[in-house]
Amino acid sequence: MTMLTASRRTDVAETDGRPSAGGPRPARTISDRIGWSRFAAVTRYYPVLLIFVLWEILSQLHLLDPMFMPPLEDVARTFYKEVFVTHELLEHLRMSMMRAGAGLGLAAVVGIGIGILMGRVRAIEGFLDPLISALFPTPKLALFPLIMIFLGIDDASKIALIFLGCFFPITINTYAGVKNVDKFFIWNARTKGANSRQLVRYVIIPASLPFVFAGLRVATSTAFLLIVASELIAANDGLGYLIMFAERSFDPALMWCGILMIAGMGFTVDRLLLALGARLFAWQDS
Amino acid sequence: MNNTMVAARPVDVAKADPVHVDMRGVTQRYRTGRRGDLLALDRVDLQARRGEFVSIVGPSGCGKSTLLYIVAGLLEASDGEVLVDGKKINGPDPQRGLVLQNSSIFPWRTVEENVAFGPLMAGVAASKRRTLTKHYLEMVGLKKFAAFYPRELSGGMKQRIAIAQMLACGPSLFLMDEPFGALDSLSREVLQDQLLQLWERDRKTVLFVTHSIDEAVLLSDRVVVMSPLPGRVKEIVPIDLPRPREEARASQAFGQLRNHIWESIRQETMEAIG
Repeated sequence: MTMLTASRRTDVAETDGRPSAGGPRPARTISDRIGWSRFAAVTRYYPVLLIFVLWEILSQLHLLDPMFMPPLEDVARTFYKEVFVTHELLEHLRMSMMRAGAGLGLAAVVGIGIGILMGRVRAIEGFLDPLISALFPTPKLALFPLIMIFLGIDDASKIALIFLGCFFPITINTYAGVKNVDKFFIWNARTKGANSRQLVRYVIIPASLPFVFAGLRVATSTAFLLIVASELIAANDGLGYLIMFAERSFDPALMWCGILMIAGMGFTVDRLLLALGARLFAWQDS
Repeated sequence: MNNTMVAARPVDVAKADPVHVDMRGVTQRYRTGRRGDLLALDRVDLQARRGEFVSIVGPSGCGKSTLLYIVAGLLEASDGEVLVDGKKINGPDPQRGLVLQNSSIFPWRTVEENVAFGPLMAGVAASKRRTLTKHYLEMVGLKKFAAFYPRELSGGMKQRIAIAQMLACGPSLFLMDEPFGALDSLSREVLQDQLLQLWERDRKTVLFVTHSIDEAVLLSDRVVVMSPLPGRVKEIVPIDLPRPREEARASQAFGQLRNHIWESIRQETMEAIG
């Protein structure tokens, strides 16, 4: 780094005699600032840390029943063993994420497609709008026993359940987004020669993307809810199964590992989506 | 051909150029349910010659924007027809460029991507698009802002981008719907002057809808005064001020024309407001 800086300096000195304003120095201050803001973003979560500390203190004072709330130390030890020694927690995590990802991914593809069609084609809108309005409020978990009759107790029924749960928020948000596209954007594009396919690709999709994204965020939290619920009901692996198994085998530390893992995953995925959104929608007025 | 309109024009404008846009009995009806139909436009006959600058003024509700959208091919008239170069229009066409009041440029595309939009739709190759974009951004003085998003720019800059976006499609007819209506008066005067320079250089046909009488007088060869409910052409005022017009704002003739048009639409405006 220093060598690079030095050689660049001499180059500049040869051409116009003084270091240019766009040299490496401002870049360094910017990266410093990013480092600071990252640190600040992490410290913002100090209340979470505070609860963990409180948990440990109360356990040490024997104020918590270890059958429900084992000392955080035990949880941490179990967590270490499950992650780095037996890898079992990671295996359960992998299974849960695979099911949730498959259901959510399918729902995103189908939901965005149908949402756009509903927003653009009158006949499809007229047919699907009442159906979707009627089915949306039904708790999808109520259908799980029925789905299991058709698809068995393996992955297929869980993926189908997550698909159903995620499909509605994605479709409805996409549909609303497409319907909300400013008429003048469409008019402007049409007078610039856009045909209907170009209109969808260059105007309808980018303009409604913030809505689609909001739908994806809701769907993601739904997917996490449904994966745990369905694995609690019937599964041989996955985080939901792990939590249920630990409860039945009187292993509260393991149970808390499962709970904290799923909470951590939910939080991480949501933050990643938010960060992606902030990058994608830099053009939006804040 | 509609003879009354041709007769109403001064000889010097009428003699030379062929008719470019010909609106014949354009009527627009909106169904409003129980109270019967609303007649937004009632048999409007209007022509613009090639290279002519025609402004349309009138109180809100006189259907001036509706008329423009019909010529753009975005709305279909309930009755009557619009001919451009003698051919009946059918839907929008990049030959008939449109600039709208509210920044209708795409906020998710950078300035240069906005200007390149028309050529992209037409399938122009990327290298050719870059050349075109650079040319038109230079023309409106925004080359430095090529990589910016519209939200980072002022209202006046956005309208200049909208104009560059239209120019990049190479239209022969400019349809402008209150393009400077949302701007502060300083930016407005600057953009008026720039539009005048552009027009005096290229002499494209312009249909310009505005609610500013000053603007209409300053820019136009003819000012069409419309009255509301139903929307009709009330009067066509030829503007025979010498060009270039940048200095004309202060002249006595300018004031007289301005007052004449104001008298013409005053009563309807009072009713529309009151």
